[in-house]
Amino acid sequence: MAEDFRSRFRVLTDGSDAPLGADHHIFVGPQHPWAEEPAHFIIHVKGERVVEANIRIGFNLRGMEKAMEARTWRQNTMLIPRACGICSAVHQNVYVRLVERLAGIEDQISERARLIRMFSCEAERVHSHMLWYGILAHDTGFDTLFHVTWRDREIIMDIVEDISGNRVNPALMLIGGVKRDLPKERADKARPMINDLIKQVEYHKKVFTEEASIVNRLENVGVLTKEDAKKLTPNGPTARGSGLPYDIRKTFPYELYDDIDWNLVYYTEGDVLATTLVRLDETLESLRMLNQILDRLETASGELLQRVKPRISEGKYMTRAEAPRGEDIHYGIANGTDKPERYKIRAPSLGNIDATLKRMDGEYIADMPVILRSYDPCFSCTNRVMIINQSTGEKKIMGQDEFALKAIKAKKYNRPFF
Amino acid sequence: MSDALSELENILNITIPKDFVEEVVKVEEGHFDIISPFEKAYALMKILHDDAGIYHLTTISAYEKDDSFNVCYHIQHRIEEEVKEIPINFIITKIDKDNPKTPSMIDFFVAADYYERECYDFYGIYFNDHPFMERLILPEKWPDDVRPMKKEYSWEQIREITLNLAKQISEDD
Repeated sequence: MAEDFRSRFRVLTDGSDAPLGADHHIFVGPQHPWAEEPAHFIIHVKGERVVEANIRIGFNLRGMEKAMEARTWRQNTMLIPRACGICSAVHQNVYVRLVERLAGIEDQISERARLIRMFSCEAERVHSHMLWYGILAHDTGFDTLFHVTWRDREIIMDIVEDISGNRVNPALMLIGGVKRDLPKERADKARPMINDLIKQVEYHKKVFTEEASIVNRLENVGVLTKEDAKKLTPNGPTARGSGLPYDIRKTFPYELYDDIDWNLVYYTEGDVLATTLVRLDETLESLRMLNQILDRLETASGELLQRVKPRISEGKYMTRAEAPRGEDIHYGIANGTDKPERYKIRAPSLGNIDATLKRMDGEYIADMPVILRSYDPCFSCTNRVMIINQSTGEKKIMGQDEFALKAIKAKKYNRPFF
Repeated sequence: MSDALSELENILNITIPKDFVEEVVKVEEGHFDIISPFEKAYALMKILHDDAGIYHLTTISAYEKDDSFNVCYHIQHRIEEEVKEIPINFIITKIDKDNPKTPSMIDFFVAADYYERECYDFYGIYFNDHPFMERLILPEKWPDDVRPMKKEYSWEQIREITLNLAKQISEDD
């Protein structure tokens, strides 16, 4: 039973606490070139095979739940997307739906506002999945595919930037609706780009299913059976790769997902290749969904933003949404003032750690990067900025260092940026 | 209350003894709150897990209510044929604030391990029969008597404690 609990970090100062049979212990992290985020893994091995893997978390606590209690519901709308660097829109979507329900205006949100929210969430799923399988290709040593997917990912990033003004943090949603419209000219601009991307993702899928060097690296690696998955409660693509067909957009529909034509994707094999294919297929489904949303937006009408009183009446409510990585849950308690009494966030990755560590049992050490990558640890990728001169329309793209240097100089000599 | 209870019993296909629940609230279509006192919580969860077959625990949230703690288990009843989920918020009430103890549900859900330890970390709620009730997230040198999510600590106080801790650690190094 004790081997089921992977959060227990074994004390190894005298070696007495090591699992039976393990002869070496590999420490990965908290800072490691493989992982972009701080997490400490310890992998107990016998020869080349893994006996047990444990994790220690908590290097990145930012105290957001406490910070939210000190801010108003309205201020929190812009704090909440910062919960995650990649899936910011879905966190904001869960939050605004929770507050709208507590304020009793959830029926008044117009169809147009809901469609724009869905567009933001689905575009985010596309770029998150593409980012992930690009890095997976890099982990398997297939760097060409990594560069190809990340090149194509720029298409969806450009669409998001065009409709929201930001690349990874669109922050389009507000309590009561959305803050920006998606006008027809932008939709017309996005449509051919989405169709291009569909062709590219179909090509990526072809590589992932037909190219022997990548299939051999992923197939039958880190198998998580359905029974284990039921026991260890993974969520999102990790669970859907193991034959658990649960996607909150289908099982407990929110926004207008029950009104749109799309297919639930799941595989029963349970290996890393299955979770990869779940994400590839979901990317295609999301891209087709984006096209449908753009079509519906042509006729959908309604006010974009409803008025909401700053004070939220007493009550508690739980909302969930399907984030790119799985099940995102928020639980909010209002006490009648303009600040939350308690707000709980659980992002999907925490629920997936146990199942991922279970995948490691009995596998080769060489498969460790691929298996640990399979639950999609997330990081931000905002290492570039585009500056547009408002008066002349001149555009200039610069890296982080160049931007910082220029900003420091501009401040030091008190001169304009351009 | 009885309407919501009988509806839930129909969905789960079980009978829940009347004295095991304080209240069952229907939040919306297919979304329920079960409120149970902590003496009966373990037995009720056993019924939900063994008889109704609920195996998915999404998370646990703890919060303060008046002069007691409440712990809420967010569990999902899954119907695979219909691809449907019934979310249930299983709220354990009246946990004494001075000596907070409540039964651990780790026998039913392996995932409860992380979430119960997180509650212990942030609120000091001790889960009985948890195999290793240790801190999970806060730094090793965090003062043991400070449970940061409690209302008695303000945001500014927590910030001050954190900064002092960082200063102390950097001096020690």
